[in-house]
Amino acid sequence: MTRATNNNELFKQVLKQGTLLGLAIATLGATLGFLVAGDQGTVSALIGAAIAISFNGLTALSVWIGSKLPIGGFYGIVLGGWIFKIVLFMIAIGLLRNAEFIHGPTLFFSLVAAILGGLSIDAIAVLRARIPIVETK
Amino acid sequence: MESTLAIADLASLGYGLAAIGPGIGVGLVVSKTIESIARQPELAGRLQVTMWLGIAFTEALALIGLATPFIF
Repeated sequence: MTRATNNNELFKQVLKQGTLLGLAIATLGATLGFLVAGDQGTVSALIGAAIAISFNGLTALSVWIGSKLPIGGFYGIVLGGWIFKIVLFMIAIGLLRNAEFIHGPTLFFSLVAAILGGLSIDAIAVLRARIPIVETK
Repeated sequence: MESTLAIADLASLGYGLAAIGPGIGVGLVVSKTIESIARQPELAGRLQVTMWLGIAFTEALALIGLATPFIF
């Protein structure tokens, strides 16, 4: 794993590794889900991993894009993106909760595994990064 | 029928509670970052990265909290 030396490298690294982790959890979750609940389990694990990784990625992407803007634009994009994500997530949960093709526990555990994995990647990337404290433009 | 309604009410309350805690958390993270950038604007890049990590951890609570209806 390379050490990021500026913000662009850091966010690229996090997005790339987050996507790879999402694919790994989707594959593993789909296999386990199939063993536990058949086709419902497979679909649920894939949806759970997709939701978690896309939301984690959207946070990193909003900070990355926002950091190129003036301070007002930065907070507008980061916080506006956060509200947008939560509303979208609530709608998704409302639609999926009673869907027949969903196996609830598989979706939940797949989502939690992907969220915790994504957080680990974020934390490790930031701790390993060697970004100069003062960036000159 | 009544018990179904009661569970639905509890679920709505759960949604609210799951969103309000992380909402306050993200607000605190952002407000402290703004204060810090106002004090030392040359550190903005580094503070924004740290803030992003804070937001990521806080919003994980919201996502997990909002997904709990799937296991109950």
